Amino acid sequence: MTAVPLLRRSLASGWRALLGWSLGVAAALLLYLPLFPAIGGNADMRELLDTLPPELVRTIGYDQITTGAGYTQSTFFGLMGFLLLTIAAVSWGTAAVAGDEENGALELTLAHGVSRRQVVLERSAAVAARLAWLCLLSGVLILLLNGPAGLDLREGNLAAGIAALLGVTLLTAMVAIAVGALTGRRAFALGAAAGVAVLGYALNAIGNQTEDLAWLKDWSPYAWAFREAPLVNGADWGGLALLYGLSAALLVVALVALDRRDITG
Amino acid sequence: MTAAVETAALTKRFGARPALDAVDLQVEEGTVFGVIGPNGAGKTTLMRLMLDILRPTSGSVRVLGEDPRAGGPALRRRIGFLPGELRLEGRITGRELLRHFAEISGPAERGAADAIADRLGLDLGRQVRTLSKGNKQKLGLVQAFLHRPRLLVLDEPTSGLDPLVQQEFLAMLREARQGGQTVFLSSHVLSEIQQAADRVAILRAGRVVVVSDVESLRQTAVRRIRLDVAAGAEPELRAALDALPNVTGLSFGAEDHRVRAAATVEGAIDPFVKAIARFPVQDLTVEEPDLEESVLRLYGERMGDVEHPAHPPRSRHGAHRGARERSTR
Repeated sequence: MTAVPLLRRSLASGWRALLGWSLGVAAALLLYLPLFPAIGGNADMRELLDTLPPELVRTIGYDQITTGAGYTQSTFFGLMGFLLLTIAAVSWGTAAVAGDEENGALELTLAHGVSRRQVVLERSAAVAARLAWLCLLSGVLILLLNGPAGLDLREGNLAAGIAALLGVTLLTAMVAIAVGALTGRRAFALGAAAGVAVLGYALNAIGNQTEDLAWLKDWSPYAWAFREAPLVNGADWGGLALLYGLSAALLVVALVALDRRDITG
Repeated sequence: MTAAVETAALTKRFGARPALDAVDLQVEEGTVFGVIGPNGAGKTTLMRLMLDILRPTSGSVRVLGEDPRAGGPALRRRIGFLPGELRLEGRITGRELLRHFAEISGPAERGAADAIADRLGLDLGRQVRTLSKGNKQKLGLVQAFLHRPRLLVLDEPTSGLDPLVQQEFLAMLREARQGGQTVFLSSHVLSEIQQAADRVAILRAGRVVVVSDVESLRQTAVRRIRLDVAAGAEPELRAALDALPNVTGLSFGAEDHRVRAAATVEGAIDPFVKAIARFPVQDLTVEEPDLEESVLRLYGERMGDVEHPAHPPRSRHGAHRGARERSTR
């Protein structure tokens, strides 16, 4: 027997999809970031933003768009990158346990010499590895574009932003895995994970509107990742601890839950 | 001999619905044991309990001497399992998929996958998602047999296989038994496995109706016979056969210069042979006993008792009716 057979199987069967996601992430970065000199640094753009309702500007996070860090945050980390990686996290997390169980493949896997905990561990690791790959790819591409696009990002802060993006999407994936392990139902896993991601984004957007509602951000994973502007200020250790700590807690939930119940087909 | 599989009052409920109701079974090591029953009888549930995919509501099951949950992965490495609803997908080829299964199962001999696939006529180079239902079933069989497990658990193994491949599969079962492996398999038709099984259990609505060896079933077998005698012998023949209690459904038809009698003989054939010996027999056909029909008769009787415990034991007519009702459902 060789090591981590389920992890390798997951990665081997998903490489085509991962290639597609990689292309999507790269396209988003290559489309947005080189435009910074023309948009964020442009005086006309500033005037245009001044004419827009401030609530809208705050909601889409464009209030910081005139700096390189703000522009990268608003376009990629807070929007396209977050969206792409969240969709990937939801679909991979859902497929890892619940999807596999509903299509009957989990039954056959578990009839072999693997434990249920091994299934949860190795498949969670496979999802985490793929998300980490997309984040690493993003980091490298941003680093390459940093100079040419005049973003003026500091490397340490970029790493902090990448860690935050990975944390918030990993949490989403772990919600899908944990709910899948608890219920075995695809729809529940997908709904819960997508719900957490959307709610997190919405709470953050509402919390941005006024100081009175800022407390809403305490309940938003999106805010835990980005409220302290990691691209400007570096790592927000409290936020990162919440994101990764909860992800780890959800992994424990999944490990225990799948071990305790019947596998249905 | 030790038991490869042993259940005691094994019960599984899904909500209020009992899928298995106090099942007691014993499967001797080195035998082929068949579980027969219609869909929903609990065959698949029973197998899933053996593999720790489901956990019992009450009662116990021991597989190769161990509790499935406590035995864990180490126990399952000694089992080969073919699920009833085999859904294989993906761009992976059959050979790659088998390599993966060999990794998470007991070690397979080099070349074992190709040897078994060849026997069944399966191309391992093709992507799994492009395989037909029958070929997926073959792939499922290969992965179950691959590591020569001590116990094979096969849910509806013959479904989707054409008759020639079914014969090859039955040969594989006989070889497995000769090699000391135990086989626990299910089917909804007895005829498919009666050649290979040593013992069969009839399961219905979560209960074991009967456990019997195939030889005993043969004793109670129902044979259809056709008999041609010279014209004119009919009244005497009718009287002779009517006198036999195990001959039913007697009918006569006139041919040119002879009379053709058709009947059903239940159980021992000898009285019938003795009775016709004194007639000028021109032709005689005795069909291979249909064990399924025998089982369905048993079915009818036992299930009559189970479902209507207040009723007195049924006559043979009642049993016949029960059997026929079931088979048309």
